Amino acid sequence: MLLQLNNIFKWVNSGGQRIFLLKDISLTVEEGEFISVMGPSGSGKSTLLNVIGMLDGFDEGEYHFLDESVHSIKEKHRANLYKEYIGFVFQSYHLLDELTVKENLEMPLLYKKFKGSERKAMVADMLDRFNIVGKKDLFPAQLSGGQQQLVGIARALISNPKLILADEPTGNLNSAQGEEIMGLFKQLNDEGVTIIQVTHSEKNASHGSRIINLLDGRMI
Amino acid sequence: MLKNYIKIAWRNLTKNKSYTIINIGGLALGMAVALIIGLWIQDELSHDDYFEKKDEIAQVMQSQTFNNLTGTGPAIPRPLEMAFRESYMDNFKHLAMSSWTNSQYLKYKDNSISRDGNFIQKDAPEMLDLKILSGEKDGLRELNSIMLAEKTAQALFGSEDPIGKVIKVNSQYDMMVTAVYEDIPFNTSFYDAHFLMPWEKYVTTQEWVNNAEDQWGNNSFQMFVQIAENTSMEKITAAIKDVKKNLNEDTEEFNPQLFLLPMKDWYLRSKFENGKRVGGRIKYVWLFGIIGAFVLLLACINFMNLSTARSEKRAKEVGIRKSIGSQRKQLINQFLSESFLVVLFAFTIAVFVVLLSLNGFNELARKEIEFPWSNLSFWLMSLVFILLTALLAGSYPALYLSSFRPVDVLKGTFKAGKHAGTPRKILVVFQFTVSVAFIIGTVIVMQQINHAKNRPIGYDRAGLVQIPTFSQDFSGKYDLIRSEFLGSGAAIEMSTSSSPTTRIWSNRSGFIWDGKPEGFQEDLAWTAVSTEYAKSLNLKIVAGRDFSREFASDSNAVLLNETAVKYMGIIDPVGKFIKDDSDEDPEEPLKIIGVVQDMIAQSPYEPVKQGMYVFDKYENASYYNLRLNPKQSAQQNIAIIERVFKEHFPNIPFQYDFVDEQYGKKFAAEERIGRLSGIFTALAILISCLGLFGLTSFVAEQRTKEIGVRKVLGASVFNVWNMLSKDFLKLVVVSCFIAVPIAYYVMNGWLQEYPYRVILEWWIFALAMIGAMLVTVVTVSFQAIRAAKTNPVKSLRTE
Repeated sequence: MLLQLNNIFKWVNSGGQRIFLLKDISLTVEEGEFISVMGPSGSGKSTLLNVIGMLDGFDEGEYHFLDESVHSIKEKHRANLYKEYIGFVFQSYHLLDELTVKENLEMPLLYKKFKGSERKAMVADMLDRFNIVGKKDLFPAQLSGGQQQLVGIARALISNPKLILADEPTGNLNSAQGEEIMGLFKQLNDEGVTIIQVTHSEKNASHGSRIINLLDGRMI
Repeated sequence: MLKNYIKIAWRNLTKNKSYTIINIGGLALGMAVALIIGLWIQDELSHDDYFEKKDEIAQVMQSQTFNNLTGTGPAIPRPLEMAFRESYMDNFKHLAMSSWTNSQYLKYKDNSISRDGNFIQKDAPEMLDLKILSGEKDGLRELNSIMLAEKTAQALFGSEDPIGKVIKVNSQYDMMVTAVYEDIPFNTSFYDAHFLMPWEKYVTTQEWVNNAEDQWGNNSFQMFVQIAENTSMEKITAAIKDVKKNLNEDTEEFNPQLFLLPMKDWYLRSKFENGKRVGGRIKYVWLFGIIGAFVLLLACINFMNLSTARSEKRAKEVGIRKSIGSQRKQLINQFLSESFLVVLFAFTIAVFVVLLSLNGFNELARKEIEFPWSNLSFWLMSLVFILLTALLAGSYPALYLSSFRPVDVLKGTFKAGKHAGTPRKILVVFQFTVSVAFIIGTVIVMQQINHAKNRPIGYDRAGLVQIPTFSQDFSGKYDLIRSEFLGSGAAIEMSTSSSPTTRIWSNRSGFIWDGKPEGFQEDLAWTAVSTEYAKSLNLKIVAGRDFSREFASDSNAVLLNETAVKYMGIIDPVGKFIKDDSDEDPEEPLKIIGVVQDMIAQSPYEPVKQGMYVFDKYENASYYNLRLNPKQSAQQNIAIIERVFKEHFPNIPFQYDFVDEQYGKKFAAEERIGRLSGIFTALAILISCLGLFGLTSFVAEQRTKEIGVRKVLGASVFNVWNMLSKDFLKLVVVSCFIAVPIAYYVMNGWLQEYPYRVILEWWIFALAMIGAMLVTVVTVSFQAIRAAKTNPVKSLRTE
């Protein structure tokens, strides 16, 4: 078991009323799964992803990640856990505009305090693997959307996370680019990386091993 | 990691050039001001540090009380020396009597110069630890010896070795050079001691000094001491306090109190009011320190405001960094290193600015400050200064920016909350409060100076020239010289006086007159003048008559000024007599022949002092006063006067001063403050405006979409301009209302020091407020109008 959510609730209070973003979510994810989260806009897909990714908190329930209880550990510890095991991929890539491709890839390693020589080797390896060696000194603005997302995924992967969380990774791409990214995810999953993606597309979801449907914050 | 931070910071800086220029430029200006003020304060605080025994040296001071008013000064009577040497010497390691620093004529072969210097007792070179370049340190042992400062020796002897050579002083006596000492630096109390001669020479050559040996009432000398090792200034003061008072009935009068003023307080803390020490120049050290700190703070506020204003642009970066594993601490570090980089940059520019402006500043502040390149502690302080500034300017943005939640900012829905701009507004209000207060302060200082300058001074100072006549050569020649000068056509009137027109050198008491109130302790300014004094100065006679050559009896005549008549309480003074209260006095009583208009001889901020002008029957004049011929140019007149002067006094260097220039020097201190605070005010406003400019551009950018929508809905350029300007104008109005009472309080306090002062009028405050608002509107309008003119299609398309 990689992670387990037990009866997770998340809400906001608005005008004296409690609006539920997540309602009684229970979910177990095993290592090596490729899960697609689907549902209409506002159904809580991204919120769920952020909760799993520890970027966002929740109001009720339990969350176990590996052997740790996320709901009861301290902020700093949680950050370490997150840094160690989780990589994020965003719809709009979210690369750092002021950094080159190479530097963007290096960034997570810096935060994990890898040594200079190690960082170099890992970045070179990743550039090679994604076939973007030629682009290493370009800035994000000089790349196409597909290429930017490739860099985004490479950055998420570089510190060898157990879990990749992807929030509509192909949402801003054309279909060919989307296919390429999905193929890449499939390949990563085959290599043993657990992936949870949020998507609108049935076709993308079909790449996964399991589909979770959300509606108004509830699993259906 | 640091490299990475710096890389990002660098790229951010080069990407937003206008932002960078405003930020670094503003900060550099602020730091330059802080640096210059820092150097100035350092110079002030290190005054007299040249003397290694600074902590042990003191001057003996005396307080005396006349009519319940206590005056304090360094002037002491000569017999005090013997009293100390006989009974109190175990308190002192060294003791040195000294004359005032006076100008003397020094002549070697055909080379004659005039220099300031002291007659002082032989312990002085040891006490002051003068750096002897050649000759002996104990150079004042012999009666006919003189020690010269390096530059003075050079001026007299050129490349010759001065030691053992004989120079003529005041064409009167020969002195042998026994030592040359290093020039005493400018920021010391003895900077103008260009030579030292033995005290004994002073006593033997000046009859009045000789006579003063046992005159306890003749306070005309100075005494410096170095205290013994096992005691303290306070202990000695306690011991010597009443030495003069307890002597006899005569000295008891005026309640003389003696005390030591330590050398470390001479320069900064030597102002006394009614017997109590009330600070002194230290006030200005504080004042400028505060100004410097404020200007720097204003620049730091710009940095904070612009950084936080740009927060929406940096928010995404913060989100991404957090989502790929950055901790908040690391983000704080990143933003702080960015701020450090900016500050370091600004500091480098500030150093350049300081280097470029140091000469001008020295002239303005009358200083000789050099840039302390080789001073390690300066660089250490600078480093601390940079770090502190970086922390001050960067901590708020660092804490604010790093607090963003990645979920919020990455969703793209991040909007700074309703109150996010509040701290920014408060800081802007603070900036403009300081600026407006500075404006008001400067205007009032300027006004006060002008007020005093425009005060009628009682005589005509334009076209009046004074020539010092300290040497014996001048005695007995007055009538001859006068007819020569008048005959040459360069002067239309001439007189002599015992004090310069712009000073009072002598005050006397111990008179009796009809109707003098019982127990009245008078204190009168005393000037000995020649017959034509009033005529040459265009000083008006308001009652009686002027001195006249036709009355031989005028040698015992006196003129009073108007204040003296009121002060002494004499009704119908003309024809009455003033007598010395001692019966043994051989002089005849002085007959009051007339009353002259009050003339300002001392501070233009104080009431005119009661004074008497007596006929100078001994020709003891210190100055010639010449009324130049108005039909010729001043240069022509001076050239003729110089020629005549040289004919009669070939051994004496020709020196002269225009009285109006001398009078102008009375305003020097206030004018310096006025000019400096004017400059700092201008810089403070400039820095605040830079910040405002940057801020408006960001606000305009933030509201691009809103402006677009408004324009589509029919808003005019004026509407948009109005909308953007109003917000800032409101802040400035708030600032004005905070600044006005503060400025009023502070400036009112400052003005209290001047008995003759300007009245604070409401329009000064109104002017400052309108000025600040005008500057704001102009600054804001640049951006506002540009934003208002943008085509809405463009700004809406970017969404």
